[in-house]
Amino acid sequence: MTAYLLRRLGTSIIVLIGISIFVYLLLHAIYPSPARAVLGLKANNAQINAWNKQYGFSRPVIEQYLSYMNGLLHGNLGYSYADNQTVASLFAERLARSIYLSGISLLFAIIIALPLGIFQAAKRNSLGDSALTSAAFILYSMPVFALGLILIQVFALSFPLFNFEASQSTSIWTVIGDWHSMFLPVLTLTLITVALFSRYMRSSSIDVLAQDYIKVARAKGLPERLVLLRHLVRNASLPMITLIGLSLPFLLAGNLITEYLFNYQGLGLLFYNSLGKEDYPVLLAYTLIGAVFVVLGNFIADIALTVADPRIRLA
Amino acid sequence: MTRFGTKRIGGLALAVAGITALAACSSSSSSSGSATSSPSTNGAITQPGSIGEIPAAGTPSGTAGSISYALTPGGVPNWILPMPTSSTNSVYNVFNFEWQMWPPMYYAPSGSTPTVDPSLSVANPPTWSNGDKTMTITLKPWKWSTGQTISSKDLLFTFDMIKAGVKASPANWSAYVPGYFPDIVTSMTTPNANTIVVNMSKAVNPTWMEYNILGSIPIMPSAAWSKESASGSIVDFTNTANAAKIFAYLTSQSKSVSTYASNPLWQTVDGPYKLSSFNDTTGAFTMAPNNSYSGPHATPMSTYVGVPFTSNAAEWNAVKTGSVDFGYVPQEDIPQLPQLKGLGYNYYGLPDFGNYFVAYNFKDTTGSFNAIANQLYFRQTMQHLEDQAGQIKAYFNGAGDPAYGPIPAFPKSPFLPANAATNPYPFSVQTAMTTLKNNGWNVVANGTDTCAKPGTATGDCGAGVPAGAKLAFNLIYNTTPPIPQQVEDLASNAKAAGIEIALSGSNFNFMIQNYNDAASTANENKWAMEDFGGETNSTYPTQFGVYNTGGSGQIGAYSDPTADSLINSSVTGSNPNAVTSEASFFTTNLPVLWQPELDYTWAWKSNISSTEPAGIENLTQYDNTPQFWYLNK
Repeated sequence: MTAYLLRRLGTSIIVLIGISIFVYLLLHAIYPSPARAVLGLKANNAQINAWNKQYGFSRPVIEQYLSYMNGLLHGNLGYSYADNQTVASLFAERLARSIYLSGISLLFAIIIALPLGIFQAAKRNSLGDSALTSAAFILYSMPVFALGLILIQVFALSFPLFNFEASQSTSIWTVIGDWHSMFLPVLTLTLITVALFSRYMRSSSIDVLAQDYIKVARAKGLPERLVLLRHLVRNASLPMITLIGLSLPFLLAGNLITEYLFNYQGLGLLFYNSLGKEDYPVLLAYTLIGAVFVVLGNFIADIALTVADPRIRLA
Repeated sequence: MTRFGTKRIGGLALAVAGITALAACSSSSSSSGSATSSPSTNGAITQPGSIGEIPAAGTPSGTAGSISYALTPGGVPNWILPMPTSSTNSVYNVFNFEWQMWPPMYYAPSGSTPTVDPSLSVANPPTWSNGDKTMTITLKPWKWSTGQTISSKDLLFTFDMIKAGVKASPANWSAYVPGYFPDIVTSMTTPNANTIVVNMSKAVNPTWMEYNILGSIPIMPSAAWSKESASGSIVDFTNTANAAKIFAYLTSQSKSVSTYASNPLWQTVDGPYKLSSFNDTTGAFTMAPNNSYSGPHATPMSTYVGVPFTSNAAEWNAVKTGSVDFGYVPQEDIPQLPQLKGLGYNYYGLPDFGNYFVAYNFKDTTGSFNAIANQLYFRQTMQHLEDQAGQIKAYFNGAGDPAYGPIPAFPKSPFLPANAATNPYPFSVQTAMTTLKNNGWNVVANGTDTCAKPGTATGDCGAGVPAGAKLAFNLIYNTTPPIPQQVEDLASNAKAAGIEIALSGSNFNFMIQNYNDAASTANENKWAMEDFGGETNSTYPTQFGVYNTGGSGQIGAYSDPTADSLINSSVTGSNPNAVTSEASFFTTNLPVLWQPELDYTWAWKSNISSTEPAGIENLTQYDNTPQFWYLNK
């Protein structure tokens, strides 16, 4: 197990370094210097040269990259010239908000989708299954933007039950407590995720229900409830563990559209705005942190699989 | 300011409009109206080219409230020192934020009219002598929030900070133009407490200097800011070394976004408001009235609240739910304007002062396009193919106005040349075809025109255009609506006249860095025409830097000796109206293909009025003056 962990750690570091080089070179290939975008069309050469010198863009790209990595290793994510703040402070202010919005939606989605998928599998081809399948297809095929707008129109404008925008408080505790404002954004993300997860869970459950050990359990006279709880849930959930693990990066970025629509300052929106401003330090930090989440998500999923299925051993 | 990119103030000078000429009083009942506003029989204000109206002012409730103002997505403040750097000189930092606390020496616009508003200006108009090499500025007896009178020492401090900043880096002051202010300043003296005399080594155009340079400079409080650290004492800022340290300190404080509301530095103001809270995550802020404000304002003044939004959709939802007092109307929501009355809002829209255009690349040798673009008749042909009225109706939902040169007909500028008031090259495919035929082209409607008569004589294709040259080239465009529809319309009209335009979509940042002859010489042959949006004009709307040979803002390397001469007169000549001649030339010479202007429309709650109609008109110019807003009974 220790050797496995060390190997995964080594691989992860190599992956992260590779991503950092790729993204850095890619940004520089597209925009060798963001000076023109930052300073505007009328900026004169003296201003552009001075700006490039101030932010290090007059140096060779390799030197810039090494300087950036040096800062990164010393805990310095850089300085956002577009927002006039350190990248660390920009992230610190938004990370908890993004994790809360994505995390709570993911949690609700899991809580709803798993039993829903099992129910659909157990009642396969019933009216209920067909209705839920139709609903899932509609939600899954619907853009987040459209779903959010519909929910706002219905529940905030036509019937003003909830706020049209998410909580504007900077305190995460106030945000968490402000259900009047957070209901619609959480609902939007949850519905989309439920549609996806329930389909996976349904398919997985149908596969498991066809297994011999399920037939044996039933033949033994085990009540259907126990068949489902003892033999179906755990086995059918194995693919879901991988899926949920892969969903962890969405804690960082998965709510961009929701943030955009519901006036919620989070990391996804920070990345989107930074793209428009060619804010290299933010883009790089976001990509690298995103990569960490992906690697971490996969790793957690692998560990969780061994716990859920003793037959799987890490080597 | 560049349209469809970051809303930016021109790097050469401030470029927006402001407030109507006001009586210098502080009564809520003062009223003067702008020079171009037209009151209707019910007292409502409209202007030529506008949509909506500003209703007659309501009866003041007499109580102060809190009035919220929607900030544009991505337009939250991130710089507070009233000396914006090249990278922070957006309208959001300057007009919506800094100028509320430190208004410029010469305030523009005046309502929606791009001219200086004397009543909102901290200084009296400068007087000129010594062949426009010496300017004398006299300050009004306005006061800082500390109770001290604004003095010539404060102005000297401000100029010294600019000098120190520019010396450290040319990017430290957005209005800096190498070879002009402050480089040309030879001496400054303060003969008395409210007068400063500035001697310069060369003459400048007085109007350009007043409107575009001094008009971008707020005065800084030397008694509060002339120090090198938070705990340091006030030092002699006329010492160059001290000035550099002071500037470095002030800049470092301006970079500390999270301390904007708590830093005592920023509490010494001469504008109508003081910052009382600032959220560095969202950019939301609250400003309380500055009770010592010496300029005109409503009585009592309400608290001014800047409300940030992450998207147009979120902002529009806020308007529809009545959650914001002043909100802009996103272009895509213009068709919903009729709903606003029912929701308790008024609305008013007008283009902001500037121009939209499609640029020509005068260096693109592909298919001899450089030689073709150099022919005035070709540019006239293209202008005849631009259906401005049709585009406004079809793609702007009627919320726009035609424009025929660098100075648009709306909002009306005092510098508008007569030939730009009506279309000198009206839309006509037939006229376009005739023009080409008369200049040696074999015109094939819906085909491809070719040069049949090469040469430079009358009726020939013109210098450098070879026989058989085709009118077929590319046009790269910004995919932000309504540009795609506009260029498709142009290409369709051009095709009817036998001109083949290959359209290619791109994004704003990529375009200005790669399809820009000044910035990317290696890509000179990759584009013939491009449409990234447009530019906002300075108050004195010279195209210095944009269409002069070698100008820093040149896109397609346009060059014309007459244009250079006229621009030079606008910047260094003594004629205060030189810019009118310059604009007249560009209206006929067509350095670019001029396009219609989009309206910038605002909605505000019908229970709010302004002591001056200008206090609402100026919203269309990205400016705002909440000191005039009040709650009705």
